[in-house]
Amino acid sequence: MHMETTGNEFLRGTLKTIVLKLLAERGRMYGYEMTQAVKERTAGELILTFGALYPVLHKLEQDGLLVTESEEADGRLRKYYSLTPRGSETAIQKVSEFERFVELMQILLQSPPKVALGQ
Amino acid sequence: MDNLTSHQLEQLHNHLLRVGSSDDLTGELLDHLACQIEEVMAQGVTFEQAMATALDDANGQAVRELRETYQRAIAMTDEQLQQASLDDIVFEFRHKSYGAYQLRQAYPHTLRSSLLLSLVVLIVLMSFLHGFNNQFPLPSGGWLMSLSALGAAGIWWLQIYKKRNKTLAV
Repeated sequence: MHMETTGNEFLRGTLKTIVLKLLAERGRMYGYEMTQAVKERTAGELILTFGALYPVLHKLEQDGLLVTESEEADGRLRKYYSLTPRGSETAIQKVSEFERFVELMQILLQSPPKVALGQ
Repeated sequence: MDNLTSHQLEQLHNHLLRVGSSDDLTGELLDHLACQIEEVMAQGVTFEQAMATALDDANGQAVRELRETYQRAIAMTDEQLQQASLDDIVFEFRHKSYGAYQLRQAYPHTLRSSLLLSLVVLIVLMSFLHGFNNQFPLPSGGWLMSLSALGAAGIWWLQIYKKRNKTLAV
């Protein structure tokens, strides 16, 4: 199964969590690095497109969860993102909320116990 | 890994401008696509082929979708909208540092200052001519009062203006 970003409602909803989690682990990353990290870890099954990634990054920056630094690399400007203290807290919170959500989803997706309903 | 030359980067940049990438995103998109091209080239693909694939990924439609998603994500909240001036709304998503935004913001102040200064100069001239024509060394009471009031107002404004310029410069 190949899950593309664009049009994938599950991925769209969890993009913030993914970005925050990646930055919590690695400290400082630029956009392309994040897409590569996601691709490598999921063995190419999850692809973040730039169209989905950058709006989320800029939104998180606007909300004060990320800060950016621009550096010149190979003749072009590279923008690095890192977490603010508030961003680190949000990262922890979002990840645990999402883990809980996954547990609940697994419960929901298991085949229901065979009991007679409504009797 | 071979890095792209400045000429190749320029080609990429021109493409992004052509497909209508917004100012806030062009720099990052350029770096993103350049990284992508360099990685593909590292696997032995020629620049032309790698570039073609990257440009196809970043075609007009993709960039337009990005711009729309971006504006939806970053758009001002209702609360911000209520506090925003018309300038803020007009210049949202536009290139503020270009200069027009600052000029517009300074305009009311410039207008007031210039109006006041021209009034002061006018009255000074008139009172001077008045005193000169009537051979009186001092202008009459009414003139004197309006002159000093305007002079004081003028000095007050100049002080504010200087302070403002200082804060702008910092």
